[in-house]
Amino acid sequence: MAIPAQAPPADEVVADPVPPPKRRRSILARIWGVYAIRRIVYALSIVWLVTTGTFFMIRAMPGDPVEVLAGKLSMSGLTMDVARVRAEQALAWDPNANIFVQYFEYMGNLLRGDFGMVIGLHNTSVLDHIMKYLPWTLFSVGLGVVIAILLGMGIGMIMAYYRNGVFDHIMSAVASTLSAVPNYLGAMALILIGSTWLGLFDFWDMRGRISIGVEPGFTAEFIGDALYHAILPLITYAFTITGGWMLVMKASTTEVLGEDYVTVARARGLKGRRIGMSYVGRNSILPLIPQVALAIGTLVGGAVIVEKILFYPGIGELLIGSITTRDYPVIQGVVLILTCAVIFTNLLVDLLNSWIDPRIRKEGTST
Amino acid sequence: MADDQPIMSVRDLQINYRTGKRSEVVAVRGIDFDLYPGQSMALVGESGCGKTTLGLGLLKLLPRMGYVPQGEIVFRRKDGNTANILTMDKEELRRFRWSEAAMVFQGAMNAFNPVQRIGDHFTDTLQDHANSKQRWTKKDIAERSEELLRMVRLEPGRVLPSFPHELSGGMKQRALIALALALNPQVLVLDEPTTALDLLTQRSIVEELHRLRAELGFSMIFITHDLGLAAELADRVSTMYAGRIIETGTADDIFYNPKHPYTEGLIKAVLPVAGDLPELASIPGSPPSLATLPAGCAFNPRCSYAQDDCRSTTPPLEPLVDRESDLSHRTACLHSHRINFSREVIASA
Amino acid sequence: MSSVDVASRPQRTASLVWRGLTRSPSGFIGACIALAVMAFAFIGPLVIDSTNPSNGDKIWTGPSAEHWLGTNHQGKDTLIKLIMGGAEPLLVGFMAAFIAVGVAAVVGSLAGYLRGPVDTVALQITDIALTVPGIVLMLVITAMYRQISATTVGIIIGLTTWPVLMRSIRAQVMSLREREFIEAAKLQNLGTLRIVFTEILPNMAGYIFINFILAINNAIYALVGMYLLGLLPSTADNWGLMIQESWATSAYKDPDAFLYIFMPLAMIIIFQIGLVTMTRSLEQALNPRLREH
Repeated sequence: MAIPAQAPPADEVVADPVPPPKRRRSILARIWGVYAIRRIVYALSIVWLVTTGTFFMIRAMPGDPVEVLAGKLSMSGLTMDVARVRAEQALAWDPNANIFVQYFEYMGNLLRGDFGMVIGLHNTSVLDHIMKYLPWTLFSVGLGVVIAILLGMGIGMIMAYYRNGVFDHIMSAVASTLSAVPNYLGAMALILIGSTWLGLFDFWDMRGRISIGVEPGFTAEFIGDALYHAILPLITYAFTITGGWMLVMKASTTEVLGEDYVTVARARGLKGRRIGMSYVGRNSILPLIPQVALAIGTLVGGAVIVEKILFYPGIGELLIGSITTRDYPVIQGVVLILTCAVIFTNLLVDLLNSWIDPRIRKEGTST
Repeated sequence: MADDQPIMSVRDLQINYRTGKRSEVVAVRGIDFDLYPGQSMALVGESGCGKTTLGLGLLKLLPRMGYVPQGEIVFRRKDGNTANILTMDKEELRRFRWSEAAMVFQGAMNAFNPVQRIGDHFTDTLQDHANSKQRWTKKDIAERSEELLRMVRLEPGRVLPSFPHELSGGMKQRALIALALALNPQVLVLDEPTTALDLLTQRSIVEELHRLRAELGFSMIFITHDLGLAAELADRVSTMYAGRIIETGTADDIFYNPKHPYTEGLIKAVLPVAGDLPELASIPGSPPSLATLPAGCAFNPRCSYAQDDCRSTTPPLEPLVDRESDLSHRTACLHSHRINFSREVIASA
Repeated sequence: MSSVDVASRPQRTASLVWRGLTRSPSGFIGACIALAVMAFAFIGPLVIDSTNPSNGDKIWTGPSAEHWLGTNHQGKDTLIKLIMGGAEPLLVGFMAAFIAVGVAAVVGSLAGYLRGPVDTVALQITDIALTVPGIVLMLVITAMYRQISATTVGIIIGLTTWPVLMRSIRAQVMSLREREFIEAAKLQNLGTLRIVFTEILPNMAGYIFINFILAINNAIYALVGMYLLGLLPSTADNWGLMIQESWATSAYKDPDAFLYIFMPLAMIIIFQIGLVTMTRSLEQALNPRLREH
């Protein structure tokens, strides 16, 4: 540490606004003080709450897997009574046990990573089954969000820079309209106009997530095909969000452009690119980050609908199917995983926020 | 560098603001002055008189709505060549800014990028001004940053890694001054450098500025409504009213022998810290809106010396005492000879 | 008795709303569009002859003089179906929004005003409710019941979507509560409920109105979604159903079926666009005023 050539006179001492930490706290208190850990514990407790809630709620509703399975079995000539007995045996748990016993058994298994077995399918664990669908949903929704972010933020920034110009007015109207349209309806309109009426593309061909005969793997063929089938879902997800974000980003950027530090940056003779990215860009994005979390939450819900109408087999299809057959383990598994996905994303977004905005960092780690 | 040549010459500068689709307002007009090397000039006036606009305009930092319809600002650069700031192209202007002339803004509260550390600000500035003659390595940047901060009596180890919100107002103001001097500019424009600070910090900043001027020898234009500050730091003072410079001269001229009714009114309204308590008098009325200026001299509605001719002619800035280096005492009043400044003492110290 | 004249308040809000709608052309057009759709859906059925016989000869015909918009898979006239089909989704949407805003307003204002434990609990509940994607929850509940009426669905939607609105209402209340007229009310010893319901909420009327409109949008989104998933069998004419039955039978491939699917779709989209445009204009008018109160 350099020593100034001349010690500043006494009245020059400038008070340090951030006092150094005082004494050592207990281990537990210090662990709790770490913001990230607090958040994780909080998140886990929510997951537990949701799981428990779902468990009891679905059992409180009419219908149960035994009846459904028995109904199917009785099609092949068995009497209902026999069918019911067979159905009960087919389940991986004892449906006649006390409900709380069932609950603790389920939670116990859960902690070991066992989500149960799929009813009606031979020897398929719920987790494996979900994993056949989940990645596709994550892929399409995730990519859609990324595209929406890039487009929305990019165009929004341009709109702010060329405020009140032709581009701004046009895009404002476009954004307003886009953000109002429900995404799945917009997709249907797109298909009706583009494919059925104008014949610009063939919707029939684009259904499903992979064409028949294409082998999964890290080949260009597979990835290209997957993307081809994902185009419509991607557009649908990106659709509504981009509109809203264009406007928010424009507002945010406009505000930042009026800030003192941007004028000072210009006065300092900094290069345009640097100002655009480090000064304007980084600060404009800040208010949008919490919105990303919110958007993902609503998207995941809407994904169920979107997947159904676009015939894209993802977790939505799984959820609906399992509800119809009252496949309790699958329903619980899907709800649990979706909730975890949302929580995880929120956590990520929170961390991202505190990484980009140093002011939050300090608040978060304070005692 | 020849001291008999001005470093900055402003001629007939006018700055307008677009206030609507078809309406405009003239914020500043007819500005003429020469700034000589090492001089310290105060621009004094009430809020809204146009002094901040003028300050921004000197470095062409006007906001979107502002533009310069006429005038020139000729600057003599370090290499001896002169150039009109208003006609420079983008890249030339970018290189010019900060390296030849720098600005310290009003209220350093928000002058730094909230998401970057102070050290990064220095790095950015130095790197973007690197050229074939001056390359900056990481080590060079670190050394230079530390040197600059020490110049303003800040501790580099404490300030450089900090984010702006972790520093106090006074620290930020000093850091801003240090940043402004990073490229050894010849002219420093300061807009209300002490207004947002508490009294004690104000004092120390003023002393810093004294010291830095003595050490580094830059010329200074500072904008303020604080007459005391002007009296301390300025070699020459220009008072502004309704977008015009209505009097200019040395500090002695202005404070002890004002020859414009407005300047006289300003001085009379201020309490000296020590000494006898003089009579205080404020100027009746309030400054006019720039959109609806009175005919003739803009001050005439509030002026106790006003006559008929004040309402019909706009007085030009006429010299009363001619001196070199633009230290002449000039005033824009048709009846300046009738002004005899004195202050009644109503209580002795 | 209260520091602001109660009688004049609804009048003030009404004039603010009017100002908000007329200040910008897009806002006004948006309101007109929304009203037009509502008139089409509610008044239309009263005006026309709703007999719409099935006709096996006329399956999926295109537009003609007799059937302006063609016919559907049962030979029924598309236009009549369209006119009759708007009332149910819109009504249910309004109802769901009403419930959502109602609950959000009560919970949000109490939480924002009282702070302390009430606030913490309310926030916790909201946090949890926000974590599970609303639609998933709605789905699970709705799909469990075979015969579920649209009204019940409306209630379910209302009860699952209020958390989102509660947040913003709470924030608004928290800023209002620092105002002088609340101080005045407190000094007059008016009870908490009285203060919240007669002082704070009426001053937020405009803001709540905007939230209400946004809630309608969200409710219709969820409701039509439920229809499209085939979870709501309904015998009444219904835009959502029109789209669903066509899509499920792959009628989207048939250019003649285009109008039957597209028109209800367009009606819903146009309605939403109208509402949103209206809201944007209203927001700009009402927000700065709220701060001045």
